[in-house]
Amino acid sequence: MSKIVVLGAGISGHVAASHLRRKLSKEHEVVVVSPNSNYQWIPSNIWVGIGRMKSKQVLFPLAPLYKKKGITYKQAKAVTFHPEGDAIESKPYVLSEYVFGDKKGTTEKITYDYLINATGPKLAFEATEGLIPGENKVYSVCTYGHAEHAWEGLNAVIQKLKSGEKAKILIGTGHGKATCQGAAFEYILNVEQELRRHGVRDNAEITWISNEYHLGDFGMDGMLMSYNGMTMKSSEMIEMIFEDRDIKWILGAGVNKIEDGIAHYENLDGEFKTETYDFAMLIPAFSGHGFKAYDKNDNDITDKLFKGFMIVDADYSSKPYEEWTVQDWPETYQNPSYKNIFAPGIAFAPPHAISKPRQSKNGTVISPAPPRTGMPSGITAKLVADNIIDSIKSGKESLHHKGSLGNMGAACIASAGYGMTQGSGVSITTYPIVPDYKKYPKTQGRQLGKTFGEIGLAGHWLKLALHYAFIYKAKMRPFWWLIPE
Amino acid sequence: MTQRISKYQRFKMMNPILQFFKFIYLSIKIMIVVAGGHGGTRKVD
Ligand SMILES: Cc1cc2nc3c(=O)[nH]c(=O)nc-3n(C[C@H](O)[C@H](O)[C@H](O)COP(=O)(O)OP(=O)(O)OC[C@H]3O[C@@H](n4cnc5c(N)ncnc54)[C@H](O)[C@@H]3O)c2cc1C
Repeated sequence: MSKIVVLGAGISGHVAASHLRRKLSKEHEVVVVSPNSNYQWIPSNIWVGIGRMKSKQVLFPLAPLYKKKGITYKQAKAVTFHPEGDAIESKPYVLSEYVFGDKKGTTEKITYDYLINATGPKLAFEATEGLIPGENKVYSVCTYGHAEHAWEGLNAVIQKLKSGEKAKILIGTGHGKATCQGAAFEYILNVEQELRRHGVRDNAEITWISNEYHLGDFGMDGMLMSYNGMTMKSSEMIEMIFEDRDIKWILGAGVNKIEDGIAHYENLDGEFKTETYDFAMLIPAFSGHGFKAYDKNDNDITDKLFKGFMIVDADYSSKPYEEWTVQDWPETYQNPSYKNIFAPGIAFAPPHAISKPRQSKNGTVISPAPPRTGMPSGITAKLVADNIIDSIKSGKESLHHKGSLGNMGAACIASAGYGMTQGSGVSITTYPIVPDYKKYPKTQGRQLGKTFGEIGLAGHWLKLALHYAFIYKAKMRPFWWLIPE
Repeated sequence: MTQRISKYQRFKMMNPILQFFKFIYLSIKIMIVVAGGHGGTRKVD
C-alpha cells in the first residue's frame, strides 16, 4: 500500500489527485493538503473581474467531491518539508498547519511514500510597495475574491464615466519580473469591451503597462505565427489589436511603487517615471512560498529542495541567453535529491526565463519570468501522476512519461470580450512552448503550422466551452478523463 | 484611434455563421496541437 500526498488543489494538484485516484486501487491512499476550500477555474476570473460571471460559476467546494471519490482532504497548508523524517518519525513527512475547522492552528506530520508539490506560486504583492489588491485603486484578478473586488472598483469607475467624468485605466504587470502577461492582456481587452458596452468608452483612456520589451512577448520571447494566411510576429498582432481598440502602451516598465492612483516605474533607459490612474489591475510578481526543508537530524537542507520554487530535473547551471536550450527544461519534474518528490505546474523552479533577459541602465531586471499556463500545468501533473502509478504498480521507479515544455504545445485562448454575439477571443497555439531555436531556426524556435493566431467570436465560444468542459472535468463527472488536460 | 482591422475583416470576425465553422476548425486544430503529444528533449529515440 502506498500513500501519495498532493500539496495544493489548484489546476495541477487537482489533476494529479484525480488521475491517481482513478487509476490506483483503494488500498493506496491519495491525500490532498491545501488551504483553499474551493476549487477555482482561474482563467474565468477575468469574467468575474468585469461583472459578467459570478464567483460561484467559477468555483465549487472540494470537500464533498473528495469525500465522494475517496480522496483524503486536509484543509491545511504545508509549512516545512522533512524528506528523511526526523528523530521520532522514520517516514518522510510534510509538517502542515490546519487553516480551518476544529483543528485550525494545529500542526500534523503528514507522512508519505510519494509527494507531489503542486503549490503553484505565491502571489508576491509585497514585492512592490503599495501593491495591495483593493487599496490605492489597484486591483488583481488572480483569485475569484480579488476578481470580485476588481469588478466593484471597475463598476464604480463605469458609474463615474456615465456621469460624464473622464477616467484613466491602467492594466498590466506590477513588477519588473512579473509573469502572466496573458491574463492582464485578456483583462484589458475585456475591460475595453465592457466600457463600449456601457457606452462610456470615449471618456476613458486605457493604457497597457508591462515589463515586456515587445508587445506580445507574453514571457515566451514572442512568437512568429501563422495568421490569416500570413506569417506574423505576435508583437505585430497585438499592436494591431491595441491600435484598433485605442489602447496605449508602456513597455519595458518595472513598476516598483504604488501610491493612491499613481504607479511609479523604472524603464529600461533607467528613467524613473509615473503613470496616474483611476483604476488599475496589475499582476504581482510570482514567487516560491519560502518553504524550509530539514534532514532527519534537523539540519537545514532547503537548498536541496528549493531554489525559490522546487528543484527538479532541470539544468540550473547559469549560462547566457544565447546558450539556453530546450534540454535545460525538466522532463519528469522529479527532485534529484529525493526521488519520491515531484513538482508539476508552477511549483517547479524553471532553469531560466524564456524571454531574453534585460536590465535597466541602473541594473534593475525588467523582463518577464517564464509563464506556466493551465495546460502545461495539467499535462505535467498528469505525467507525474502516471509515473507514480507505474512505479507503484511495477514496484520499481518508472519515469516513462515525459513532458518538457520544449516538446509540448499549448493553446492559449485569450478572451478579448464577453458575449455570445459580441464577444471575441484571440486564440493562439504555440509549439513548442519553450522555443527550440536549433530545431526551428528560421521560425523563431517554433513550428509555424502549429503556432498560429486567430481573432474573432469563435475564440469567445471556445473559451466559454473550455470553461464548462474543465469545470465538468474538475468535478470528476462521468468520463471526465476523456477531456484532455 | 487607428482603424487597423478593416470593416470586412471585422464582419468576418463577428459573423456567427462564419465563426461557427471557425469554431469547429479551431477546436480540431487545437486538439491536434494539444493531443499531438509531448515528450522529452534530451534523448532522441
Ligand atoms: C487571472 C488569471 C487568468 C489565467 N488565465 C489562463 C488561461 O486563460 N489559460 C491558461 O492556460 N492559464 C491561465 N492562467 C494560468 C493558470 O491559472 C495557472 O497556470 C495555473 O493555475 C497553475 O496551476 P498550479 O496548480 O501550478 O497553481 P495554482 O492553480 O495556483 O494552485 C496552487 C495550489 O496550491 C495551494 N497552496 C498554496 N500554498 C500552499 C501550501 N503552503 N500548502 C498546500 N497548498 C498550498 C493553493 O491554495 C492552490 O490550491 C491564468 C492565471 C491567472 C492568474
